[in-house]
This record gives sequence, C-alpha cells and structure tokens, in this order.
Amino acid sequence: MNTLLLLLAGFFLPLFPLSMAFNWLLGRFNNPVVRVLLILVWPQIGVLLVLAAGVPLTGSVFLWWGLITAAFYAWRLLTVRELGQWAAMLATSAFALTWVMAADGARAIDLHAFVLGFAVAPALLVVITTLLERRLGAAYSGLVTGMARDIPRLAGLITVVLLAAMALPISPGFFVMLDLLLESHPAPVIVALLTWLLWSWAGTRLLRDTVFGPRSGKNVADLPVPLAWAFAGVIVAAVVLNLIWTGV
Amino acid sequence: MIKLQWLIPLLPVLSALLVHLLAGRLGRRVAQLSVGMGVITFLVALWQIVVFITSNQGPSWMGIGGNWGSVYLDPLSATMALVVSGFSLIVHIYSVRYMAEEPGYARFFMLLDLMTASILLFVTAGDLITLLIAWHLVSVMMYFLLGQNTESRPGERYAFWTFLTYRIGDLPMVLAAVILFQAYGALDFPTLFDRLMAAPDTEVFGMPAAITAAGLIAVSAFAKSAQFPLHTWLPYTMDGPTPVSALMHAGIVNAGGIIINRFAPAFVNAEGVLHLLFVVGLLTAVIGSVLMLTQNDIKKSLGYSTMGQMGFMIMETGVGAFSLAVFHLIAHGMFKATMFLSSGDLIGDARRHDDVPQNPLYTFLVDRKTGKPTRLPWLAIGVVTLVVPLAILLLAHWAVSPDFFQKQGAIVLLFFGWITGVQVLFATHRLDATNPVRMMLMILLSFALIVIGYSIIGHTFETFLYPDAAFREALYHAAGLDAVTFDGLVILLGLVVLVGWIGSYLASREESLFGNRFSELRLTLYSLISRELYIADLYERLSQALLEGSKRINVWMRWR
Repeated sequence: MNTLLLLLAGFFLPLFPLSMAFNWLLGRFNNPVVRVLLILVWPQIGVLLVLAAGVPLTGSVFLWWGLITAAFYAWRLLTVRELGQWAAMLATSAFALTWVMAADGARAIDLHAFVLGFAVAPALLVVITTLLERRLGAAYSGLVTGMARDIPRLAGLITVVLLAAMALPISPGFFVMLDLLLESHPAPVIVALLTWLLWSWAGTRLLRDTVFGPRSGKNVADLPVPLAWAFAGVIVAAVVLNLIWTGV
Repeated sequence: MIKLQWLIPLLPVLSALLVHLLAGRLGRRVAQLSVGMGVITFLVALWQIVVFITSNQGPSWMGIGGNWGSVYLDPLSATMALVVSGFSLIVHIYSVRYMAEEPGYARFFMLLDLMTASILLFVTAGDLITLLIAWHLVSVMMYFLLGQNTESRPGERYAFWTFLTYRIGDLPMVLAAVILFQAYGALDFPTLFDRLMAAPDTEVFGMPAAITAAGLIAVSAFAKSAQFPLHTWLPYTMDGPTPVSALMHAGIVNAGGIIINRFAPAFVNAEGVLHLLFVVGLLTAVIGSVLMLTQNDIKKSLGYSTMGQMGFMIMETGVGAFSLAVFHLIAHGMFKATMFLSSGDLIGDARRHDDVPQNPLYTFLVDRKTGKPTRLPWLAIGVVTLVVPLAILLLAHWAVSPDFFQKQGAIVLLFFGWITGVQVLFATHRLDATNPVRMMLMILLSFALIVIGYSIIGHTFETFLYPDAAFREALYHAAGLDAVTFDGLVILLGLVVLVGWIGSYLASREESLFGNRFSELRLTLYSLISRELYIADLYERLSQALLEGSKRINVWMRWR
C-alpha cells in the first residue's frame, strides 16, 4: 500500500480538504462538455491510483476519511442552491464512498463501475444546469418555482434526475449503493446510510424550490419534445445497462 | 401458477406507461384504461389465491435468473396481493369522477398505478433486493401522490415530512438486509428463511443476526406505520387528495404489519424484539387515541385514529398474534377506506339538507349530549358491562381454540377486547332510548356477533396464513413473558381499569377521586397533548439547527 499514491488519489476520489480542488475545478469551467467529462473521468483516475497503490485498504484511515468526507458533503448539500454547485458537492460526497469499496477489496472493474454509476446523476445535473442557465440566466433553486405547471417536460426531467441523484430505485446510484452496503461492515454501513438520508433530504429541498410550489419567476420555454425523448433515451439506457450489469 | 404472479406488479406498471403515453390522445379517458388494468390485476390476484388454496401445493418461488428479481407465492403474498389490488381498484374507480376537475388528471392515474405496482411488488417480492426496491419505491410514490397538487405549499411540506420519515424507515431495512445477507449468504426468501430457521443463533460481526435484523426491521416498520415517535407525518397527510388519503390510511400505512409478518422467521427467534413491538405498539395506541380525542380538527383526529389502530396492529405482533395483525389491517383498511371515500357524499348530503337529523343517536355521537339521564341503574349497568363482554369473549375464544388460555399473547388481547367491549357498552348505556333494556340487549347481541365472527374468521385466517401449528406456537411462545412478570402486569392493568372505573362512577355523580388537587397538572397535561407533545416542534428545531450549521460551514468554506 503506497500512502503517497493514496494521498494523490484523495484529490480524485475526493477526500476533504483535498476535495476542494475538485469542487473548485468544476466551478471554474463553464463549458458543460468539460464539466461532464470532468465528472466522468476525474474519479476514474482516482480508481487507477488506488489500484496502483494496492487494495484492499482494510483497517486504513482512508476508509473513515472517505466516509466522513461523504457525510460532510452530504450535510453541506442541504443548503446549496446553485444547481451546478449542487452537482459538484453530490459527486464529491458519492465518489468519496469509493474508499469503502476499496477497503472491502473490490475488483478493479467493480471500482470503475462504482464511480461510473455514481457519476450518471451529477453529469445529468450539469446538463440540466446548462438548460436552466440558457433559459433563466442562472440555475438557482427558488429562482423559478412551480415548474411542474407550465414547463412540465423540464420539470419531469429535473424530477427524474434528482431522484437518481438521491440514489433511489431504479437508478444506477441505488444499485451501486446496495453493492457497497451488502459487502461492508456495519459501522461504515451506518455512516453510508446517514449520507444517503442526507442526499434524500437535500434532493427534496431542491425539488421543493424548483418543481413544486406556486408558479413564480419569468415564463420560459419548455424542453422541446425531441430533446425530452433524447434525455429519456439516455436515462433508460443508463438504467437498463446498470440492470444488466447488476445481474438481474 | 407462479408465472402469473409476475403479472400482479407488472400490469400496473404497464398501465402507468400507457396512461403516460396515451394521455395526449385519449384525454380524460385514460382513467378508464387505468381502471381496466386495475380490474385485470385484481382478477389475476383473485385467481392466484383461489388456485393457491385449491391446489394445496404450498409456497412457490420464481426468479428471473440473476442475482435478484423474483416473486414469491405464499399465503401472505396471495392474501395481500388480493387486498391491495382490491383497495387500489376501488380508489381508481372513485378517482375517475372525484379527480375530474383537478389539474394533472392523467399524472394522478399514472402515479396511482405506480404506487399500486410498488405495493404489489413489495407484497410479492421473493428476495431481499426486490423487496428493498419496492420498499423504497413506496416512499417515492407516496411523496408524489401527496404532492399531487404541485402548487400547494402545505401539500408539498407534508409530502416532504412523510417522505423523510419513510426514508428514515427505509434505511434500517437496508441494514437488516445487509446483516441477513452477510449472516446467511442468501438473498432469496426460501433459502434465507430455511437457513435462518436452521441456524437462528448465527452471529455476524459479533451480533446475533436474527435478533439484530428483527430489531432493524421493527424500526423500519415503526416509521412506515406511524409508530411513536415516528408518527408526526400521519395526521398531516390529509392535505393530499381524498383518494390518496383513503389509499394511505387503508393500505400504505399497514406496510409495517406486512413486513413484520414477512420476516416472521426472524422475529420468532427474537424474543426481546417482540416485547419491543408490544411496548411501542401499546404506547402508540394509547398516545394516538389520546391525541385523537383532544384534536379540534376532524382530519387530524382521523389521522390520530389511524395511528392508534396501527399501534394496536403492531402490539398484536408483539404478543405473537401475527396473523391477527394482518386480519386487523385488512379490517381497518376496509373501515377507513369506506370512511374516506364516503366523505364526499356526506358533505354533498349536508349541503343539500342542512338540517341535522333529530334523533338520539346523532345527538349522542355528534353533539356528545346524553339527553335525558338513563333509566337503568348505574350499578346494574356497571356489572352487566363488566361481566357480559368477558363472558362472550371467553366463550367465543374457547369455542374456536380450547388451548387458547395457554397463550399469554391471547390473554393480553382478550384483556384488550374486554376493555373495549366494556367501554362500548358503558358509553352507549347513556344513550337516550324509549326502551333502554331492549337497546342494551341489542348492543349485547351485536357485540356477541362481532366477537364470535371475529374469533372464527380470525382463527381460520391464522391457520391459513401460518399452517404450521408448531410455528404458530413458537411465535406465541417467543412473545411470552415469565409468569411472575406477566401476572404482575395483568394485576397492574387490572388496577388501572379499576381506578378508571371508580373515577367514571364518581364522575357520573359529579364527584372527583382527588378533588381539585391535580387540576393544574391536568391543565398542563391537556396543553401538552393538544400541542401533540411538541414532538413535531422538536424535529423542526433539530432540522433547523442542521440547516443553519450547513449554511455556516458552506459560507465559511466558500461553497467549495
């Protein structure tokens, strides 16, 4: 086990305070393609570094460091209102859980699949952030409420992606989380479950101030039907591929 | 036969999909499509239970070949699939007209179908993962159904409360699944339960697997079935549409009782957890009933009434009467569904005829006035109401099962049945009637019919749900206490009843047991109860503190 490599991995599978670099980078770039790529590729580098350092990490301080980072960012997520920032913090919280998988001695392919499963929802949230910014100039919760009434397709997309962000069935995040929990010890499981609960709380707070509530804010165009179908296709593909991967 | 079991959760999913896709083309007629699919689902569930009973083949299981994704056909799943699909169908039919003027008509039917599918998947699940998926989905669907009116802030707020409490309940269930899987290395129920019964003392991470898992499942059931102190969401869920309230109070809130029955092989090996179920259930039943009586909002009062009933249901599992809990939840579901779904008609009638009925029953029940003083002597009534219900209960139970009195749990239930009977009789004797003796006889006859019917049906149902007599016996045995503790508790309860009785007698003579000595304490107690014990306020404070902390940290760290 190479501690230096693991510390370096702490930037990519974010460990607080090294995690601030990842959040800073995601905030730095405005281009959605770059941000999505960052979310998809960044943690995979971390996995490669962890594998190079040697797994399992049983008894390692990195396991608890990862867990505390995950819970800490989940707690901070509760009061984040900017959707892009929300996606970044969710990704930080979720990727930090990879250290638990690594501690359990998961196979390389499982570790890569694990971070990919958790990357789907933040990546889609980044795309939604762009859609909202183009329509409203910014993507803050509370800026426009009651979207379900006048812009149902966009509201529907936000809802489905936020449910995936909360790792609820049958999103990839749910199965990734179960995979983690079923193989772990009870103490880490309890912290991971608390993190999961905080994601749900944060997600519903975001739903409350976007999709629900009396209509407020300026009127904007809904998602075009072909684009809505495209998003539906991507989401269904992610779900189906994940179901095949989990061995249904 | 087992292949058809797949159709039960899948048909509502198909219905939801069709409703969503065809809503633009069919308009409000999608509701008929949804109802049609509901009818087919109900018929399949009916067919399954009929074939299951007549074929006498025993439970069967079928997976789709992977790690998870399976259905189970046993007495519990067959019964609950029929009950759930039946309730859902009634709610569907009712909603066709009731929701006609509401926005999001098609969305409502889609959500209703998805909720039905989630519950049906929950009751028919054949492995831990499928069960967890369904368990989580029930929470999600409940959130959206309660928030059907997306523009209502209170609606969303209470949907959020419900969702968060349900999530708190989801997570112990996950932990229980983790423990069971790690201890017994199986996800599918038949293998898991066989291994559990063969080695109930298996330890995992130094903890007894069966007891720990049962404890966690119990906590999960507490959240889903609104047990104290995880009950605060239930009385506030009335802000959703009436059909959702009906579905919630008749079906979804019963999930706790169903999950405990599903994991009966774990509970039979967890004596302490059964006692916990009894205590929490009893506490919930008492607090729910007390809060119900002190509410001045009829909807909240109804919510607390359900809470009390759920407490009673959980208490039944705590005394080992698992099948009785299922029977209770079905009976309570029918009663509550009828109440909610007939409320529209009642309001309509009241609007058309604003004159209140001038009969003693209305005056007694609604105005809470006793009319003229009773013509029957209080002492005679006291004796009759004490002795007769006890005699009826003892005889009815002895008739269906002579060894009944060997089971502590049964005696506890008998005790509660007796108190309930006494309360009913004693309350109604004050009802003004032209022939009070005849009225009392009619009440006694009704009570006897109910008790005999309940005993016979309950006993038959128990042998259907748990055909293995040894397992039934083991459940009652596990729930038992040592003789001294049990006798002590019975004596204590008896004394409480006696004091209550004396208090009631003195109150009828406009006297008090303690004079005015405790009037201040009574007032404090009343204000505490009328504010619902400040439990919701406590949660509010706690969540505000967490949010405030989160905000400060974020500002301090510049949101990085």
